[in-house]
Amino acid sequence: MIFGVRRSVAVAASLGTLAAVIIAVLSWKGAPVTSETFLVTTYIGLFLGALWAMYATGLVVVYTTTGVFNFAQGAIGVFAAFLYWELHVNRGWHSILALFVVVGLFAPALGVVLDVLIMRRLRTASLVVQLMVTVAIMVLLLSVVGDIWEADTPRRVPYLFGINNGIDLGPSQLPWHRLIVFLVAIAIAVSMRFLLRRTRIGTAMRAVVDNRELAALNGARPNVVSSTSWALGSMMGALGGILIAPELGLDPATLNNVVIIAFAAAAFGALKNLPMAVIGAMLIGLLRAHTGAWLDFGPDFRFAHLSIAPLLLLFVVIALPQARLEVGRLAHHLRRHERYTKWWEGLLGCGVVILLAAAFSGGWLDFGGWDPGAWGSRELNSANEAMALALIGLSLVPLIGWAGQINFAPLAFAGFGAFVYLKLAGDTGNGYWILMVGLLCAPLGALVALPAARLRGLYLALMTMAFAQAMSLIFFPHPWVMPIIGTGRQFPHIDLFGITFDDRRGFFMLMVSVFAIFVYALVLLRRSRYGRRWMAINDSQAAAATLGVPVVWTKVVVYAVSASMAGIAGVFWATVSGNVDSVQGFDLLIGFNIVLLVAAAGVSIPMAGIFLIFIPLFKGFGLRLEDAGNVDFLVTLLDIMTTYGPGMLVLGMVFNPRGAIFEMGRGFSPILPWRSDARAEIAAENAQKREPEIGELGLERPFTPEEVIAIDRRLEILDDVVPKEGYGTSRS
Amino acid sequence: MALLEAEQVVMRFGGVVALDNASVDIDPGEVTGLIGPNGAGKTTLFNVVTGLLPPTSGRVKFDGHDITRSTVAKRSQMGIARTFQKLEAFNTLSAFDNVRVAVEKNHRAKWKHRRVSDVAHEMLGKVGLDEVADVTVGTLPTGSARLVELARALACRPRVLLLDEPSSGLNEDETSAIGQMLLDLVADEDNELAVLLVEHDMSFVMGVCARIHVLDFGKIIAVGTPIEVQADTAVRAAYLGSDEFRAAYAGVDE
Repeated sequence: MIFGVRRSVAVAASLGTLAAVIIAVLSWKGAPVTSETFLVTTYIGLFLGALWAMYATGLVVVYTTTGVFNFAQGAIGVFAAFLYWELHVNRGWHSILALFVVVGLFAPALGVVLDVLIMRRLRTASLVVQLMVTVAIMVLLLSVVGDIWEADTPRRVPYLFGINNGIDLGPSQLPWHRLIVFLVAIAIAVSMRFLLRRTRIGTAMRAVVDNRELAALNGARPNVVSSTSWALGSMMGALGGILIAPELGLDPATLNNVVIIAFAAAAFGALKNLPMAVIGAMLIGLLRAHTGAWLDFGPDFRFAHLSIAPLLLLFVVIALPQARLEVGRLAHHLRRHERYTKWWEGLLGCGVVILLAAAFSGGWLDFGGWDPGAWGSRELNSANEAMALALIGLSLVPLIGWAGQINFAPLAFAGFGAFVYLKLAGDTGNGYWILMVGLLCAPLGALVALPAARLRGLYLALMTMAFAQAMSLIFFPHPWVMPIIGTGRQFPHIDLFGITFDDRRGFFMLMVSVFAIFVYALVLLRRSRYGRRWMAINDSQAAAATLGVPVVWTKVVVYAVSASMAGIAGVFWATVSGNVDSVQGFDLLIGFNIVLLVAAAGVSIPMAGIFLIFIPLFKGFGLRLEDAGNVDFLVTLLDIMTTYGPGMLVLGMVFNPRGAIFEMGRGFSPILPWRSDARAEIAAENAQKREPEIGELGLERPFTPEEVIAIDRRLEILDDVVPKEGYGTSRS
Repeated sequence: MALLEAEQVVMRFGGVVALDNASVDIDPGEVTGLIGPNGAGKTTLFNVVTGLLPPTSGRVKFDGHDITRSTVAKRSQMGIARTFQKLEAFNTLSAFDNVRVAVEKNHRAKWKHRRVSDVAHEMLGKVGLDEVADVTVGTLPTGSARLVELARALACRPRVLLLDEPSSGLNEDETSAIGQMLLDLVADEDNELAVLLVEHDMSFVMGVCARIHVLDFGKIIAVGTPIEVQADTAVRAAYLGSDEFRAAYAGVDE
């Protein structure tokens, strides 16, 4: 403590001020500052801040009352804005009516549906599952919007009361729309604060998140509370989306990205403090407006002013106090025995994969008379692309799968890897530099994780997202990083062991081999002391710490390992397309999709990597179908699968958090001759499934529903489910 | 001098005072008891001593050093180990691997001349879990998972061992086996081990503890030998009306 201020706050504040001053001095535009221009800039900043505050309020309300941080908040806004456009502009409804239908009816209904179908079941889920599912909802909502309202028609959402009506401010005009936005945002924040702090339902809402059972005993109704929160949060997202659309244009990606700024604002209030979140939003708004007005970053940093939110998030993360290690939150029961892949099983699996890949790409396999033939260059191209993405996906296995930490920036690390490789081996294509890429990406991963690793897992997720955004706004567009030298190949063909991998089939096999090496390394890593330690901190950080494991440092190491793998994968990704533009194409949404797909596949098992290899195979298959003609239906099906697949698969995690590969493995492993343990487990489970006979329970007849209720009361089982007819009867 | 001392520890959560100037000291070579009604602050005291909670005020001293500001991992390396009232075992790891994580972390400092797996097997043997070494802990019964935590704590080769209700989930035979193991551990002078035991099973506490601290509403209301504590009027008053205690106590009085 220095003068009553925590040291971390002081450090972050002084770092922030220093950075602001340096940036301001270096890039001062030299425009005269008059009170008028200053005032106008300030009012624009406050207006922007108000819009973000609306999103942030929704986030904070849902988070404080349900414990789920809603990554889909922005996408709800997108959906609402498009729906509003449809009703108001396309069908000519009055704006007030359209607004009422969307914000007053549709949004709360959406919130309640999401809560009842999905969110309620996430209460006890791990952070990984919670975040994956909300991200999946985000991706799904955006896909639906893209499918219903195709991107080729230009659309505009008009200002309420037009842009030209408003209060005269001298040099410019304050349109009613903006004034209303400002007032509404403040009103919402104030009323939410009042609701949460001063009303009975608000107290119940906050109590439920701390201890659901205890709150229920005191008369709160957890399900009503969570539905209310989701309805409210969804309404705020919808209103924000509709009101911001006239300013930003009706583009799903742009509108969705607004939410990242709201994340930074929410983080400014430590995710739970509403007034601080609103102040954070205003701060970002003011900084954004004033940097735009007074500073010029030059063409090399032309997007730099957009990275204020990620930067603010960084300073917030530095300033926040170390999180306490939580105890007593662990659910003890696991249904199934965990089994590690044996080293020789890993070797066997990898060998099978390499052979299969060679067979497919070389056309050695015959499918019942239908010979797919060798893949052509187009199939190989898409297979190569997908293979590179699968490599990037593998980098998430130790991080998300074992240590339970989130990383939304695998593509940013991959892009950094590509950048390093371009600088080291851009002329020669010497493949041995790839090892150096791995070494140089590790410290970057550690650096990104370092400030947030001492906080709760959610901050690491936000931090990686902010990092991804900052990289794509500041780092990748810089001409020194990725020079734009006309067209043509800038990434050389990789040269390894005296072979230049310049033909697509050879490169495909090289990547498959690297993939197999990654998988095998992971199999060994999981059996090592490091793998054990990472899984231990996933299960209980508090317990790991009391055994002497430095939890923060351990997390940082996992990030370093993951970043290193992603960097190496990035080299292959960039080499596939051969063009530096591909690195800038590393956007957040593709990153989300990779993370989702890996999570849905079953990210905790190294062999899940083999699942990912099916993507290139499917892709090649789809292209072949297209060539064959008359299979539009199948092509459409594949199309739908690629658009909605990852999202839908992840929703499956609500019921099966371990992912698809886990279930597939359970079906598959009893076939393997050496897995008598798997066969025994299945047999034991089947034996357990049989319901006991009435006689075995020492009863003469089944319980009547009244008796069941009486017993529940007696045992204090506070379930308000009405027992079904014949409850407790034997089915046999 | 006591090996571990908590001095005048105050722990406040908002308006609730969980610990109110609580002082506890424990010596090597004996088991010290910490008893009190539910919500008295026993687990909170454990969390303060192990560093999971920073106290509002007060100090924690280990072997003469002030460790109030040390991290959890640092305290563990110095020799403080614990188990948890609500299970914190590594559910997805096998019992053997649970213990291995602890041995590996403390190998260089404390088990230099022995193989990791030997130590891990020995610790599992001590708590009687050799047979389930390869079973995933999440699938074990609660009592066994508790013993895994104990084996894990022993694998840190602690000088101070804090046990939070080790007997819950165990039957009488298992409980008395654990009691005997604790007595053997502290009796072995090479270990220089001090044990602090939170327990609701009064016959267990009275059987193994040399001294007992009684905590009530965050305050230490009595310290003494089991016989002194049982005779203490403040203790009896604190427990009056507590069915749980009366039931547990009945066995001891008779």
